[in-house]
Amino acid sequence: MAKSPLPAMLGIVTRPWFWAFAASALAFIATLYLSDGRGGGELLAAALTFASFSAIVGIGQMFVITLGPGNVDLSIPATMTLAGTLALKFMGGETGLIVPGLLLALAVGLGAGIFNYLLIRLLRIPPIIATLSASFLYQSLAIWWNRGLRIKPPEVLADFTTGALIGIPNLTVIGILIAVVSWVVLERSLFGRWISAFGQNTRAARLSGVPVEAVRAITYVSSAVLAAFTGYLLASFSGGAALNMGTEYLLISIAVVVIGGSSIAGGNSNVPGIWGGALLMFLVVSMLNSYGFGAGVRLIMTGTIIIAIVAAASGKGRSA
Amino acid sequence: MNIKAKLMAAAALAVFAVPVSSLADTADKRIALSNNYAGNSWRQAMLQSWATVGDKAVEDGVVAVADVFTTSENQATEQAAQIQNMILQGYDAIVVNAASPTALNGAVKEACDAGIVVVSFDGIVTEPCAWRIAVDFKEMGRQQVEYLASRLPDGGNLLEIRGLAGVFVDDEIHAGIEEGVKEFPKFKIVGSVHGDWAQDVAQKAVAGILPSLPEIAGVVTQGGDGYGAAQAIDAAGRDMPIIVMGNRQDEMKWWAEARDANGYETLSLSIAPGVGTLAFWVAQQVLDGADVPKDLTVPFLKVTQDSLDEALEATPEGSVANVEYSLDDAKGVIADAQ
Repeated sequence: MAKSPLPAMLGIVTRPWFWAFAASALAFIATLYLSDGRGGGELLAAALTFASFSAIVGIGQMFVITLGPGNVDLSIPATMTLAGTLALKFMGGETGLIVPGLLLALAVGLGAGIFNYLLIRLLRIPPIIATLSASFLYQSLAIWWNRGLRIKPPEVLADFTTGALIGIPNLTVIGILIAVVSWVVLERSLFGRWISAFGQNTRAARLSGVPVEAVRAITYVSSAVLAAFTGYLLASFSGGAALNMGTEYLLISIAVVVIGGSSIAGGNSNVPGIWGGALLMFLVVSMLNSYGFGAGVRLIMTGTIIIAIVAAASGKGRSA
Repeated sequence: MNIKAKLMAAAALAVFAVPVSSLADTADKRIALSNNYAGNSWRQAMLQSWATVGDKAVEDGVVAVADVFTTSENQATEQAAQIQNMILQGYDAIVVNAASPTALNGAVKEACDAGIVVVSFDGIVTEPCAWRIAVDFKEMGRQQVEYLASRLPDGGNLLEIRGLAGVFVDDEIHAGIEEGVKEFPKFKIVGSVHGDWAQDVAQKAVAGILPSLPEIAGVVTQGGDGYGAAQAIDAAGRDMPIIVMGNRQDEMKWWAEARDANGYETLSLSIAPGVGTLAFWVAQQVLDGADVPKDLTVPFLKVTQDSLDEALEATPEGSVANVEYSLDDAKGVIADAQ
């Protein structure tokens, strides 16, 4: 492999995000093989749409995980549910309230992020416990606020979230824009350096003048705001907020970070890989469903595939 | 007032009919609901029905208290601890919607040994000392295929949307659907996904499997997933199959709109969340000394083409079709089982 005659190709293969995209492509082809190539466009559109949700929450989770061991945001599902519930109830299907509803959802994210950070900072609770216990609070607030009733989104908003721009789903456009901005922040800005420094060695970062607490606060707030935004989009997309709407995004948000080639130990993140991981998570499940595997086999194979990709990506990372 | 009058009549009747065993009065009895999960619209409606009926019963002096406790994590261990606390708190009856049919048996046995009446419903427990108000989930699955057979005599391809993997309700409904397909072999299940009883999860799973599927004639579901399936199929631009619905308001609304637009016909069936109130009255009857068989069955709540408008009107926006059971309903169910 190291003696490949195509140096450019080798360069791509050694990128940590390569394996996630390669596996996604394989899963895509395997699914189409079953239907003799029918429905390719349909599957791609569905993958791009649903991967957008995973990608946006995954990017937030990636910022947090980059901070280093012990940093993870377990309140993502509850924040999504709370933001979706409050925003949709507030809008009540009125077109004129779409923007205020969005602002409300983002404000919920802002509040949740600040609350999570304060628990970690002031009460010195480990982030895993802090975000988990806060999530019970958010979930209870969501239950109390609307008792699980599904309020329909405004027609215009529902059409927008399910619509497409020259063949690309609107959600994907939003997801890619967020990814690009995150990539610039992480790779090209001082703040991005600070996050990496925090994750690699917090003490060294503090001693060299990095405002570590500000970095941590902004990171947790970004994660919560992105989760709230996803909750708003998902609720509008699926015809209303439900109390259990965020549940599966806890595992997905962490999985896409790991599959995408970010270091689970922190200090090293990878934005393109998030999209690779998000596409893979959807395509693998679709492939296994299409082949008619039962739930048990499906979970085992999903786990095996994740492990294989993480192993492949980290192995390549070392040799490079 | 009405219930009170009925109750007094019932009590009077009971006194005359079964003079020895039914003399007990339940006015000082304390009933608790042990609930394992509250995170969806069905459970929220269940809790609300319980509150409505329970509060009224307390107000009327039928029972002393009708408290509700919900565990936060939907774990059997947590619920077992909760039941043990209820034993210590001295409740006379515990009504339980269980996280597991077997894992709570130890705690339930402890409660029985302490002289507490335990009535399980929806999520039932297998411990013999407890009463069970079971839902015939198998039949719920079978009837869906039976209905499709009545609509599509030539059969066709079916897509099955299952619930949460590993939960016994999912296995039961699935078994019923397989039974139905065996009974009507012109149907073939060509795809199966897990929708976790959530519209957004079902939507995602169906969107993923749809491209590889042939034409679909019908979709069999478990409730809370029909609207998501309809949206995914609509987004893929396919012809709309007959999707059996699960009584959720958004499903019924979609159905009514499709009916008005192109005469869409289907069936909707599920269990009314008010089944909790049936369990409440059964517990009250047991405390009252009535002779109640251990195994009772709740009827399905079906919405058909004819009753759609009525059901839709009676269901709050975003909720699920519901009925609250009365003491007389409970007596009817008990009589049916005897």
